[in-house]
Amino acid sequence: MKKLASFKIIILSVFVLLLTACGGESDQSAEVDSGLDNTQEVLDFYAANPELFTFVSLDDLPDDLVWEDGMDQPEIGSPDAVKGGTYYEVLEDFPPTLRATGPDSNFSSRSWISDNYQMTWAMPHPNTNEYYPGMAESWAISMDRNTVYIKINPAARWTDGEAITSDDMLFAFYFFLSDYVQAPFTTNYFNTEYTNITKYDEYTFSITVPKAKPDMASRVLQGGPVPQHFYKEFGEDFPERYQWRYEPHAGAYYIDPDEIDMGVNIVLHRLEDWWAKDNKYFKYRYNPDRINLSVVRDTAKRYEAFRRGDTDIFRIATADMWYDNLPEDDPAVANGYIHKTTFYNGGPRSNWGLWINASRPLLDNQEIRLGIQYAANWELVISNYFRGDMDRLKTQNDGYGEFSHPTLTARPFDIDKALEHFANAGFSQRGPDGILVNAEGQRLGFTLSTHYERFADVFTILKEEAIKAGLELRIEMMDGATGFRKAQEKRHDIYFVSFSSFLEMYPRMWSYFHSDNAYDQAFLEDGSVNPERTVKPQTNNLQSVAMAEVDPLIEEYQDSDDKARMIELSHQIQQAHHDYASFSPGFVQSFYWTAYWRWVKWPEEFNYKYTTYPYELFVHWIDEEAKQQTRDAQDSGRAFEPHIAVYDQHRE
Amino acid sequence: MLKFNPQTLKKLRRFREIKRGYYSFIILSVFLVLSLIGELLINNRALIVSYEGELYYPTYTAFHPGTDFGLDYPYETNYRDLKQSFADQNSDNWVLLALVPYSPFENDASTGIFRPEPPETMKKHYLGTDTTSRDILARLFYGTRIALIFALGFMASVYMIGVAVGCAMGYFGGMFDILTQRLIEIWSNIPFLYMVIIVFSVIPDTFTVSSRILILLGVMVLFSWTSMTYYMRTETYKEKTRDYVSAAILIGASNTRIVFRHILPNVLATLVTFMPFTIVAAIASITALDFLGFGLPPPTPSLGELLKQGTQTLRTAPWIIMSAFGALVVLLTLVTFIGEAIRESFDPKKFTIYR
Repeated sequence: MKKLASFKIIILSVFVLLLTACGGESDQSAEVDSGLDNTQEVLDFYAANPELFTFVSLDDLPDDLVWEDGMDQPEIGSPDAVKGGTYYEVLEDFPPTLRATGPDSNFSSRSWISDNYQMTWAMPHPNTNEYYPGMAESWAISMDRNTVYIKINPAARWTDGEAITSDDMLFAFYFFLSDYVQAPFTTNYFNTEYTNITKYDEYTFSITVPKAKPDMASRVLQGGPVPQHFYKEFGEDFPERYQWRYEPHAGAYYIDPDEIDMGVNIVLHRLEDWWAKDNKYFKYRYNPDRINLSVVRDTAKRYEAFRRGDTDIFRIATADMWYDNLPEDDPAVANGYIHKTTFYNGGPRSNWGLWINASRPLLDNQEIRLGIQYAANWELVISNYFRGDMDRLKTQNDGYGEFSHPTLTARPFDIDKALEHFANAGFSQRGPDGILVNAEGQRLGFTLSTHYERFADVFTILKEEAIKAGLELRIEMMDGATGFRKAQEKRHDIYFVSFSSFLEMYPRMWSYFHSDNAYDQAFLEDGSVNPERTVKPQTNNLQSVAMAEVDPLIEEYQDSDDKARMIELSHQIQQAHHDYASFSPGFVQSFYWTAYWRWVKWPEEFNYKYTTYPYELFVHWIDEEAKQQTRDAQDSGRAFEPHIAVYDQHRE
Repeated sequence: MLKFNPQTLKKLRRFREIKRGYYSFIILSVFLVLSLIGELLINNRALIVSYEGELYYPTYTAFHPGTDFGLDYPYETNYRDLKQSFADQNSDNWVLLALVPYSPFENDASTGIFRPEPPETMKKHYLGTDTTSRDILARLFYGTRIALIFALGFMASVYMIGVAVGCAMGYFGGMFDILTQRLIEIWSNIPFLYMVIIVFSVIPDTFTVSSRILILLGVMVLFSWTSMTYYMRTETYKEKTRDYVSAAILIGASNTRIVFRHILPNVLATLVTFMPFTIVAAIASITALDFLGFGLPPPTPSLGELLKQGTQTLRTAPWIIMSAFGALVVLLTLVTFIGEAIRESFDPKKFTIYR
């Protein structure tokens, strides 16, 4: 979904840029204009939408609410953590804007501009996945009213010192529902996921969602307010006006826009008197005083910068980097200057695999799809290319706990079975080059498209192995936008992709497997296939999965608020999808590799179960003394104890 | 029988005298001929298999599944293993393998892990293997073959269009000249790289690799012929005022005849001066396009792709960049030497003080 969103944002922002360029209005004022004040406009909006905005008093709060404060979760971070020092990190690209919303705001380095240290009302604990409070003091969930109630922590402050109040959450509705914001994905989310916000007092409000779902709390708790006082000038020229202004948030770090070295460097400062600095869950986190972010665009150069000690942490993604570029006998590693860790994490998995488009000729035949499953030699890719460190993905929805299917596994590489299934589909003769042909002389060849150039070697291995089973895969390497557009328009045969997964309670089924997202009018009234159905573009059902008997299950799953029933349905849907054979599960990485200089210190258990980046929780700290010591040791040739560790406490 | 006029013969003699260029020419020609029969030298298919008294020649014929030679698999025979198993069985069957028994596509890892392995003569990986354990020599050889044929085709097409248009502009002059010049100026301002990207994003993926190469060639030619026209135009202008052209016009020769039979031979010296640069540019640009990822689809072997791999594995597998870079340097140097020699031998001002 995130991909879809970012793609739309890119397209939209290009369009907007074009339009603004044509309009000839180039008001680039980044200065605060105190003459502008939209307060009345906002109030009018509230008044015009009474069903969405409700204003009552604290007495109207239901009495039967069970309030939770999430204070029973374990602490995060290490008591040994020391505040201070500068943490050096790199950006892959310089941010095109400081805005966190609107055109161009979905850039690769945005996590450092906002996401990494911004707060929501409550956050899932990185080990237990239970909520602990962020800006909220406590919250209550009422399933029969479809409503989540939140009491804001009165101590909570924006980075500019203003108090956070219910009005800021009301304003968030105005902000994201307005046309000025130009963030269609978020606007749509606010339109479809929330039906009401009620203000009880300055620090108490409730939000109602359309349907009670087992995880409905996350839709509210993992949202956040928008600082109304900062957006007084919010209007038609929002993208330009706020291009280089830094939105206040509730987190520990802030950016001084005047300090930015455009295109080169950004510095984050820690708030000395941060409102949450003594909070149980934050006191050992956000340790470095400064975070220095410099732009290094090329991976090879980023690595060299790390080797020189210009950056402190290097997240290693590939086996050749881990084993060949930075082997354990590398002097810097053997002398203990650079530490290496393997950390096993948990949570929903990226579903790398072959997304077979069942609406294409030949691929609409289940036998062919089954044959392709058996002809894809992922085992060889995993053992020989990934050096056995990856695991085989089992289904499209691994890592969702009880919601994932307990027994299903991916089909193995099996030439005989592949040939058998291809023969069932009429492909029984091999042509002069070893590729199967059918009685009409048609070749068994499909295009494998992708925009993941870093996995190019994987495709060549798959291609060579598929030839053994008489299947030709033509590799088509595209650039990101073009490739994904092709898949969204369902013009691909087979696409290699993974959809980003979020830490959610249960997998999304409707957008990937429901026939509504595959075709317009997939089936006729009597349940038979509509012969005139047309492929439906711009959905996430890239496999064009359309199973008349499964659609009702998905709909029930979508509407159910009974967790046990949903689990049962989830298993049934996944079983049906497995039989449909339109997804060839690829590989999954159940750990992450980190290399860091020895002056970066970590908690004893290194990190937390539901993390994908070592630095995302800011539990590490910089030991300036150790840094000097290491520098001296490098000059004098002194060695330390090497540190190569595997943390497998969360290994499944 | 092709008959050269004494002038040309003299130039060719002169070319032979310039040893550096002449030998470069011979080396390159030999390589070109060898590359055309490259399947006999570098190939994982055996040249000859003698099995149960029957001879097979798998190189250029249809594939033989393993079952043809008593093996238990239905896919393409691995002839290196076949040779080994025949040797182990001490049978009368035998296999004659190519000099380098690897195809540019197959992964052949000695440790079971796909990673670059250094050159090893015993395993006949003479230049080592690349990041997915494919033989570098095989990839280099076939990559160079594609680049070379591409460059020759590019040169021929560019010169054909460039010379024809340039000479016409110079010869006819006037309004035609002015209009065509303006058109060329507009045309040459279309950014070439974007065009390649756009064209490649719209051609259907069902196209074969060779037709993709042809399209790439077409696009490149379309945007490269313009520079040639300027030189040809000025040269033709100059020659047109000479007496022999007036004489030809008086005799009643047709325009085509005058341009191609009379003027063209006299401006050939300018033309050949540019030839090596054109070839070098063509090889460089197809390599660069591949390096950027806009060239030939993987896993087509190419110099650019190898260079790219090499830059990413500078520390761990220097033999990749050395092979690719070395091959590129040798190739471009040879072409440049030939070009220099041609230019010098075709230079009519050999004995002039205006050198």
